[in-house]
Amino acid sequence: MVQILPYVYLGYMFISIYFVTFYLLLFIRNRKGMFESPKITKKYTISVLVPAYNEQDTIENTIKAVFDSKYPIDELIVLDDGSKDDTGKIVKSLLKKYPKLVYINKENSGKADSLNQGIKLAKSELIAVVDADSYPEKEAFGRLVGFFDDEKVGVATPYIIPRNREKFWEKLQYIEYSVIAFTRKLLGYVDAIYVTPGPLALYRKSALEHVGGFDKNNMTEDIEVTWHLTKEGYKRKMSLGAVATTTVPSKLKPWLTQRRRWNLGGLQCISKYKRYFLRKGMLGFFILPFFILNLFLGLVGLSIFLYLSISRIITNYFYVRSSFIVGSAVISSGNFHYTPSFLNYLGIVLFVFGLIYTVLILFIMKQNVMLKKHNFFIFLIYSTIYLMFYPFILVTSLYHYFKGVQRWR
Amino acid sequence: MEKSQKIVFLQALIVTFLIFNLGIFLGFKLEENRVNKVNTFYLESEMDLLDQRIQREIFDITTINCDKAIEANIDFADKIFAEAKIISRYESASRLSNELEFQHKRFDLLRTLFWINSIRIKRDCNADYDNLVYLYKLNDLSLEDKAKQSVFSNVLTDVKEKYGSKIMLIPIAADTGIPSIELLLDAYNVTELPVILINEEIQLNDLDEVKELEKYLE
Repeated sequence: MVQILPYVYLGYMFISIYFVTFYLLLFIRNRKGMFESPKITKKYTISVLVPAYNEQDTIENTIKAVFDSKYPIDELIVLDDGSKDDTGKIVKSLLKKYPKLVYINKENSGKADSLNQGIKLAKSELIAVVDADSYPEKEAFGRLVGFFDDEKVGVATPYIIPRNREKFWEKLQYIEYSVIAFTRKLLGYVDAIYVTPGPLALYRKSALEHVGGFDKNNMTEDIEVTWHLTKEGYKRKMSLGAVATTTVPSKLKPWLTQRRRWNLGGLQCISKYKRYFLRKGMLGFFILPFFILNLFLGLVGLSIFLYLSISRIITNYFYVRSSFIVGSAVISSGNFHYTPSFLNYLGIVLFVFGLIYTVLILFIMKQNVMLKKHNFFIFLIYSTIYLMFYPFILVTSLYHYFKGVQRWR
Repeated sequence: MEKSQKIVFLQALIVTFLIFNLGIFLGFKLEENRVNKVNTFYLESEMDLLDQRIQREIFDITTINCDKAIEANIDFADKIFAEAKIISRYESASRLSNELEFQHKRFDLLRTLFWINSIRIKRDCNADYDNLVYLYKLNDLSLEDKAKQSVFSNVLTDVKEKYGSKIMLIPIAADTGIPSIELLLDAYNVTELPVILINEEIQLNDLDEVKELEKYLE
């Protein structure tokens, strides 16, 4: 095990260097037009679908945000998935104020099924899916519709940022969402966008109908439908100029639940589309290998981390115990002499490279407030500890995946 | 896909190869530099030991100044002890080449030769230093072995600091398959590693015994 570890490290480093280089090259090539959105040359009708389940705290503001859009919205359909709270009451009270608002009360059947019912009801050329705790900004729709002049475009997605960004855990996600958005934009240049997230995605209705809508059996219907659209040859686009805010978990536990759901959905997608591996366009040649590689690297990395940590703990236990028996000092001058290996240096270089990349993104995304003195600690935690959570979540997700546990949210 | 952008996959691969190979090259250079340092230590030690052995040979044909021989022996012991610590650190940080493994064997041979020389000088000059030979495991270490050897090493470092020139501390990896070392292990009935061998008579294997190490020092 110990003999192969240096080679495993080298493999990880190669892959890490590759992706950082890949993103940087894409950025260098496209840096001038990153925030530009296509011009509106044609009028499209838009139906907005808002699936809701117990969203009494947020639904009113979501509806308001949609109707505040500068680009005209032709209808907004709230699909109440059997809420047990006052969601229905609130929406009904807004029907007079917003004549284009439609309220559908239905039995609880899950988000994807709600959306599929919404697709059937929607009368417009474009269908926007907006989560009931998300808020498109006024310019968002207008900056997305231009993409649909290209008939091959099936979906367009904006820059999603956390609406709540005061608490520690929220600030961490604020950085994360900026990195995700930036990376997604870059992936868009090589037609490799693999998710058009729930807070806001604008679909061509005919494309959604062509793929049969959303998969009811997938926990992340947004990832699944993106993969399906990719498989069918539709382009996915992203605009950094279009912005939607969303409510992110403020505490660790709901955050873990959310991330586990994302991972589970990803695993379901891998399972569903595995036969296209290295076979079908960008889905088979990039998205699937990318997900599988992430899964593999996460699991192997975590195994090595645990192996080394446990070995170190056991060795330290024996060491301390033996030191006590012999009566020698546990800490000696020898403990302070550390000769770094070449891999240590390479790791440091890579870490610094990653830090610079994140700083660069925050500057480009005009989120450099996260680098200010009072937020710098958050930035450091994000760059070190926060990202370490990912493989652990992956393992629990795998456990749930094989156990077959599924929840709506 | 935008055709003009496809090339980025390949460009990134080429740049990665360049960066990665540069990293590997620098890594080899770093380790080569360390091997060169160890080589220099070895050559110096080899010369010192050769000098010691010549002194021994002179003793066979005429009388020598025992004080000088003992002093030279002690200096040499201190030197190889300091070098052993550096080599051990370099070895644990070596990732790309196994050059240091070979160097380690050469050093073990040199130290074994020094041990024999030390036995002779002690006997011929009736010297009052103690030979403290630390025979340890280099291969197939369990976690417990690792911890035990670290503690042995700490204890010996403390003892060496305390007694200085009164002890001749010689660390030797005893499981590298070198026949002369195995011969000595047989000769002194050493069956278990790690062990501290005091004046070729007393073997300390257990932690409880090591605790009493100072008792055995003259």
